[in-house]
Amino acid sequence: MSEMSRLRRLSRFFPALALVALTLLLAFTLQPAELVILKNIIVLALFAVATNFLLGTAGIVSLGQACFYGLGTYVIAMAWFHGWADFWLAAIAAPLIGAAVAFLLGALALRSQRWFLALLTMAFSQLFFTIAQKAHSYTQGDTGIFGPMVPDAIADPRGGALFIFAVAALAMATLWWITVSPLGLTLQAIRENQRRAQGLGIDVYRTQLLAFTISGGFCALAGVLNAVNQQGAHPGLLDWVQSGDPILVSVIGGLYTFLGPVIGAIVYQLGHDAIVRITLRWQLFFGIILLVVVLCFPDGLAGLFRWSSWTQAYGRLRSVTRRPAAIPAPPEPRS
Amino acid sequence: MSAGDVIVQLLSGLASAAILFLVAAGITLIFGAMRIINIAHGSFYMYGAMGMTTMLALLPDGDTGFVVRLVTIPILVALLGAATEVLILRRIYNREHLAQLLATFALFYIFADLARQIWGSDYRTASIPGALAGPVTFGSYTFPLYSLFIIGVALAVGLALFVLLRLTLFGWRVRAAVEDPELLASTGTNVMVLSTAVFALGAGLAGLAGAVVAPLITVTSGMDANILVAAFIVAILGGLGSIGGAVLGAVIIGLFQAFGVIWFPKWSSVIIYFVLIMVLVLRPAGLFGRVE
Repeated sequence: MSEMSRLRRLSRFFPALALVALTLLLAFTLQPAELVILKNIIVLALFAVATNFLLGTAGIVSLGQACFYGLGTYVIAMAWFHGWADFWLAAIAAPLIGAAVAFLLGALALRSQRWFLALLTMAFSQLFFTIAQKAHSYTQGDTGIFGPMVPDAIADPRGGALFIFAVAALAMATLWWITVSPLGLTLQAIRENQRRAQGLGIDVYRTQLLAFTISGGFCALAGVLNAVNQQGAHPGLLDWVQSGDPILVSVIGGLYTFLGPVIGAIVYQLGHDAIVRITLRWQLFFGIILLVVVLCFPDGLAGLFRWSSWTQAYGRLRSVTRRPAAIPAPPEPRS
Repeated sequence: MSAGDVIVQLLSGLASAAILFLVAAGITLIFGAMRIINIAHGSFYMYGAMGMTTMLALLPDGDTGFVVRLVTIPILVALLGAATEVLILRRIYNREHLAQLLATFALFYIFADLARQIWGSDYRTASIPGALAGPVTFGSYTFPLYSLFIIGVALAVGLALFVLLRLTLFGWRVRAAVEDPELLASTGTNVMVLSTAVFALGAGLAGLAGAVVAPLITVTSGMDANILVAAFIVAILGGLGSIGGAVLGAVIIGLFQAFGVIWFPKWSSVIIYFVLIMVLVLRPAGLFGRVE
């Protein structure tokens, strides 16, 4: 291998390394009040990357990822509140529980596809939301569980930021490794052409279920980090509207680049904080921005750096379809 | 449980089924004709309810005002739906389903904050008009008249939808659009106008549901997200795209909610999810749905 191509191969990791260096620098220099923003961004980034493994890599739209995220937070909170387990045991158990629940829900939801799947996952998420509200003796209902649920070392703002960063970085590295592994490539093959993948002998259902389980586990891990960050769990975490956040973040940053969701999380959090400072109605502004991105810049922020996407944006806005698209040929029904 | 209690619960279940049907019918109609799932559909319902709580200076607050509002609000919401379709949705019919989902999700955010801007974040109420306020006595049992009124409205709408979709040229075209929009376009039908009409009809139904239910509930921001999930469950249960399925799904969910309150007071709101899961294990495309 020549020196040049080795450098080119390594250069793929430069953005990631730059992000790591920047985060470490910020984690050591920021004031505690600003560290909260940093921690919010990192937690959201992991949640988004874990969701995008399903969304971008596998092409599966789930509106229920908040279910696993909230579950991760609740495992930590309930283990502390009821004295079931110490933090570290709960933190290891939470992603496994998240993956197990994702396996069960995915086994059911993946029997259907596209719209049905999105709506089903939304309903499942709302089921957990309702349970969290009603199982008062376990979850404290709408009040939620708040308190010193994490060890002192990581309850400290800087220690917490470093812990959250270390776990998130390791988790993202693992997810990246899975994305470029044969499993990730198989998922992309299914995303691009399900029939052809089936023809090649790929078991679509099992592969997608595996992806769903992995994504659920990592979403729950993001939920654990959220517990470290917020020291509390409440039903709002499980609300289906919450499931929109990681999807929106991924779309803003770009679905088909691994670090896109991370960039999206940074923009989303900083943008949110900036808009909130001006107006209470941040959802209105956010909705309008999202609409413009979806209508004009489908490649997300990654597309803003290409001139062609600006010239196409106007055309996209003008192109009104004369008729609804023909219904695509249905894939083979699953048995 | 005495026979009277059963009838009272049956009636209350059918009343909530009526509301669920009105919202789910719009979702399923729009999905059938345009293959779009409208996340912002609950917003139209909320706008209907919010509109009902607004005391327009021009309107008397009595029975006449109620009737006038009940007629005008769905029409206004339908116009809002038509504007949404023309300005936004038309541009995303040919896009992948994630883009469609996000666009309607963005609309959900925009409508939610616009409602807060217009009506504020406080709890609001509307009153039942005098003529419909009383109870009806039937033998030794009494029922709220307004529940019967809601059921009557849903029955009338259901019948009108049946006539519209089965017996008119418009309905013939909508059903053709479900099967093959391109072929329909080649026969000279303006499919774009048809899409606008279907979307406006669906939005108007949701607005009517909100307007009718407003006197019974506390009207507040956030009701858009709540009704949406319930209506989606009804639509999925019945099979997306099937109006008959929406009727059946709404009745099933409504009755399970009503009797669940008696049998499992605490867990009644969880039951509908298990009903959904049970049905989908047996029929992944819903009761009347076609596998896609």
